Amino acid sequence: MGHGDKGRPSKKLKFSAKEITHLDDEDAYFGGEDIDEDVRDGEGKKRDFTKLELKPDHINRPLWACADGRIFLETFSPLYKQAYDFLIAIAEPVCRPESMHEYNLTPHSLYAAVSVGLETETIISVLNKLSKTKLPKEMIDFIHGSTANYGKVKLVLKKNRYLVESPFPEVLKTLLKDEVISKSRIISEGSRGSDGFTISKTMGEIGAGPSDLLNEAELAAAAEEKETHAFEVDPTQVENVKERCLPNALNYPMLEEYDFRNDTVNPDLDMELKPQAQPRPYQEKSLSKMFGNGRARSGIIVLPCGAGKSLVGVSAASRIRKSCLCLATNAVSVDQWAFQFKLWSTIRDEQICRFTSDSKERFRGNAGVVVTTYNMVAFGGKRSEESEKIIEEIRNREWGLLLMDEVHVVPAQMFRKVISLTKSHCKLGLTATLVREDERITDLNFLIGPKLYEANWLDLVKGGFIANVQCAEVWCPMTKEFFAQYLKKENSKKKQALYVMNPNKFRACEFLIRFHEQQRGDKIIVFADNLFALVEYAMKLRKPMIYGATSHVERTKILEAFKTSRDVNTIFLSKVGDNSIDIPEANVIIQISSHAGSRRQEAQRLGRILRAKGKLQDRMAGGKEEYNAFFYSLVSMDTQEMYYSTKRQQFLIDQGYSFKVITGLPPPDSGPELNYHSLDDQLALLTKVLSAGDEAVGLEQLEEDADDIALHKARRFGGSMSAMSGANGMVYMEYSTGRHKLGKGQMKSKPKDPAKRHHLFKRRFG
Amino acid sequence: MPQVRIIAKNFMDMVAALPAMKLDKLYENAFICEAILRSLPPLAKKYVLQMLCIEVPVTAKSMEEWVLPDGVSKHRVAIDRLIQLRIFTETVDRKRETTYTLNPIFQTNLKKLLLYGVVLPREPMPSNVTVRLPSSEDLEAFALGQWECFLLQLINSSQIERPSNISSSMMKIFQRGLLSQRDKEAPRLTESGFQFLLMDTNAQLWYIIREYISNSEERGVDSADLISFLLELSFHVTGEAYNINTLTEVQKNTIKDLADLGLVKLQQGRKDSWFIPTRLATNLSVSLTDSSSRKQGFVVVETNFRLYAYSTSKLHCEILRLFSRVEYQLPNLIVGAITKESLYSAFENGITADQIISFLQQNAHPRVAERVPSVPENVTDQIRLWETDLNRVEMTPAYHYDGFPSRDLFEGASDFARGYNALLWEDPEDSKKMSLVVKAENHVHMREYLSRQRQ
Repeated sequence: MGHGDKGRPSKKLKFSAKEITHLDDEDAYFGGEDIDEDVRDGEGKKRDFTKLELKPDHINRPLWACADGRIFLETFSPLYKQAYDFLIAIAEPVCRPESMHEYNLTPHSLYAAVSVGLETETIISVLNKLSKTKLPKEMIDFIHGSTANYGKVKLVLKKNRYLVESPFPEVLKTLLKDEVISKSRIISEGSRGSDGFTISKTMGEIGAGPSDLLNEAELAAAAEEKETHAFEVDPTQVENVKERCLPNALNYPMLEEYDFRNDTVNPDLDMELKPQAQPRPYQEKSLSKMFGNGRARSGIIVLPCGAGKSLVGVSAASRIRKSCLCLATNAVSVDQWAFQFKLWSTIRDEQICRFTSDSKERFRGNAGVVVTTYNMVAFGGKRSEESEKIIEEIRNREWGLLLMDEVHVVPAQMFRKVISLTKSHCKLGLTATLVREDERITDLNFLIGPKLYEANWLDLVKGGFIANVQCAEVWCPMTKEFFAQYLKKENSKKKQALYVMNPNKFRACEFLIRFHEQQRGDKIIVFADNLFALVEYAMKLRKPMIYGATSHVERTKILEAFKTSRDVNTIFLSKVGDNSIDIPEANVIIQISSHAGSRRQEAQRLGRILRAKGKLQDRMAGGKEEYNAFFYSLVSMDTQEMYYSTKRQQFLIDQGYSFKVITGLPPPDSGPELNYHSLDDQLALLTKVLSAGDEAVGLEQLEEDADDIALHKARRFGGSMSAMSGANGMVYMEYSTGRHKLGKGQMKSKPKDPAKRHHLFKRRFG
Repeated sequence: MPQVRIIAKNFMDMVAALPAMKLDKLYENAFICEAILRSLPPLAKKYVLQMLCIEVPVTAKSMEEWVLPDGVSKHRVAIDRLIQLRIFTETVDRKRETTYTLNPIFQTNLKKLLLYGVVLPREPMPSNVTVRLPSSEDLEAFALGQWECFLLQLINSSQIERPSNISSSMMKIFQRGLLSQRDKEAPRLTESGFQFLLMDTNAQLWYIIREYISNSEERGVDSADLISFLLELSFHVTGEAYNINTLTEVQKNTIKDLADLGLVKLQQGRKDSWFIPTRLATNLSVSLTDSSSRKQGFVVVETNFRLYAYSTSKLHCEILRLFSRVEYQLPNLIVGAITKESLYSAFENGITADQIISFLQQNAHPRVAERVPSVPENVTDQIRLWETDLNRVEMTPAYHYDGFPSRDLFEGASDFARGYNALLWEDPEDSKKMSLVVKAENHVHMREYLSRQRQ
């Protein structure tokens, strides 16, 4: 990156105004994004901004802004709250621990800022007000450069006509010079004005801007009604028009807004929030960003797991009051979403339906809510007659709201498919962690919309809205015998199995389970990505487990028992449990194996126990219980796991969590009451690990695993010729069911990704 | 290399170490007498004042009667100190009775001082001569600036803007023990050097002045003269101008060095030139124990190992750089990260985890200082863990023996080594290689044994 020179302050900017206007491919365009990684990597990237001029009253101002886009915010400043709301709207948070936050100003984040109604001059003037120093010229230029084209054009669905709208007629003229766009234009009779643009007035922005930081004149300007110019485009050409406006073409990315109040064509859905559904302050705030100007904006809302994302989704749906298509990642969470809709809103049972492979319901009446999975909609193969009908209905309907859960997990390709298949006026994406290991966040931004709001985890913890989690990394020394095998070259494929099955780790895990079950009466989830380990651990400890092959019925049964029974306090989950399985009862997580360096997985798993429990006042800062949830990550010392572990924790650490390192577990005085005490038992386990097939001890493979692809992309695998040609691949596993031990057999029978199935077999499974 | 004791000893320890002749000469100066009196432990001060007008020897016995039984140890300390400084002379007469007399020169001068007061050898210059004297803030800033510049130069930083005039040979003397230089490498800070940087300014000043004094003879300057000049200087008034022409030649040379250290500021008028003592100079005779000038903390460490230092000082930046990666420098903030790599390089230089942690804790920003702990526990734990991680491998010098002519000899040798508890490793039995590793300290025995076997 040209930062090789050590010690010398690097003043090279990652982006400049010039670059922005002349770039032609999307990746380079978002070059500003990698700044965060950039700073963390390598030595000698010190940036010297000591020459910035301090304002005389700098003590009272909360932030520093650097020429390279980095912003530091003091959280103890009296202006913190306002500054935080402002920064989260214009910049990307890098890390948010207790006293000092760091943000990055990126083209991306400025796009989001503009889309929630902040204007270039407002951004600069507020930033200048908050800054301790004079704003660096580079930053001002950068803001100008990045926002010059953003937010100038909106795509509005009004009375079922697609309008391209802008307060700047000259911008519309530029757009119309493009062949694709001018062809798509529909010239209506009632158009006025010299250019034939329709002129109308829109409401100014309310509540989205940092109103308390602006003076009256600026505020008045923001609230003023604005004259907008518009032309209509052919509904069938909308996707093409949008495409032409993307940064890699005309570079006027369109904001999508839905004027639902004036939509008289689509029937209203009779639903509203129940009185007991009281959105919390941060939920209100995220909704206000979405509905800031009386219309519904498309975009993404980022809230930690357990902070009540579903209430935000349901609230948005009941505000728009049109048909809503809700997409979830799996059947269990489809059930949970349907339940949430009924819980928080007055929607009637016949107005909501689930569409999964197991239940194919249809709503009655002309408007309603459909809850389904991404797979069901995107599925390309042949469907049963019944589901074909439903999918036809979904495709033909004009949806008021497309509600998308866990947007960070779904591969970009599937998104494109889902979005092009369904017609929706407004798209709302929900997620807890806007990190993707494949860094394809950009896709999400242009497919769904900008990030509308992101909550600060620590603030929510302090407010008692989510649990205060004690995170710990337990260092388990490898036993001598396991480590010797780990180091052998011929065991390279079994490395993971060896460090996961490390007897010391098993004993530490068993110790923790006992401690939390018996001493505190906690509910525990144990996560293991490694199926071999999952089965071994669960069988040895006699605990129920859920993994890819566990049927929907069985999953529901186990989860139900875990929630209600006093005897089932621990369950073992494979990575199927990472996302959106709602287990509010659990408050302890023990992670025995995980997916390489996935930051997202770590955050999602933590999310399983974030739902706040107990009384609110106990949870608030200074309350009775300091910690009410526990997250243990067990790692075997001196193995790859240590390296991955550090990488995985990065996201949570950036959110202000700290991992306490625990050594000396299980306690040295623990004897045979924990398993694998004797050397003989340990050696027997070792033999078992070594004799298992390479495939059996590997990772569980689930269909559409975005992280997997991303994390493996950069790695190179060695493998024998026979393995490559399938000698010990899937085929072998398909037929080995009977001969292997329980558990492994079930794993084989899990359904494969239908898209990859051989065409001869497609019909049989459809 | 001689071990440098960094604990800044009291100036008076240096005085006490002077030979008797020089000490007596020192006491001819009334200022020294006063400074010495100030530095004494309370009980010793009392004895000096009680004996001030007694011309005859006082017996040890009667003196012991002055104190209560539980004060005996304090009494002992006081007496020892007084003898050390040659303020008391101890005599044992024929009856084996111990008596004490007050040093007559010290006595006369102190009496004079108490009765008439003393005048400095020079008066402040009138303000009509010395126009444009610096304000006290400017003077303070000058002193700290000089001192910081000196320290930066001391640790060989590349960040110095204008090097001071201190000669490189003198600098070498100051650096002795603080920096270590391996061949062809840039000098590195030693453990003591790091500790030195972490001390407060007063303590650092003491250390440097001590080195300056102990080296004075080599420069042809009498150490007693130097001490007496320094003590005299501490009685001057901060911010006032004193004419340089009142100084001796030696003192004139010394004052230039002191200006480089920030103890005085030199100014040149139309006709005269003068020096202005700064707070650093007037603090010289203040006892070290009361470090009331505790600096306010400035460092915030977060749970994500990021470090924010509210400081404009380049020196702070250099100190932080010793164990962290400095990423951003803002007008009044330094942003860094504590990483495994940065800590490893600190450990390699002999800086310990405890030193780093105590530095972070002692300098905690007031905002986080009240928090317990002021530095997040996970960070301190991790720093210690990384340090212990480095010590997991234990090195034992050893010898490797192989090529045994027979298995019998091999087994005999291995048993022999085992007998000394010196066998570290031997080839597994089934192996044909027959080699073993034995502690180096037993190599002699092994060699003897093997040659005996061969015969």
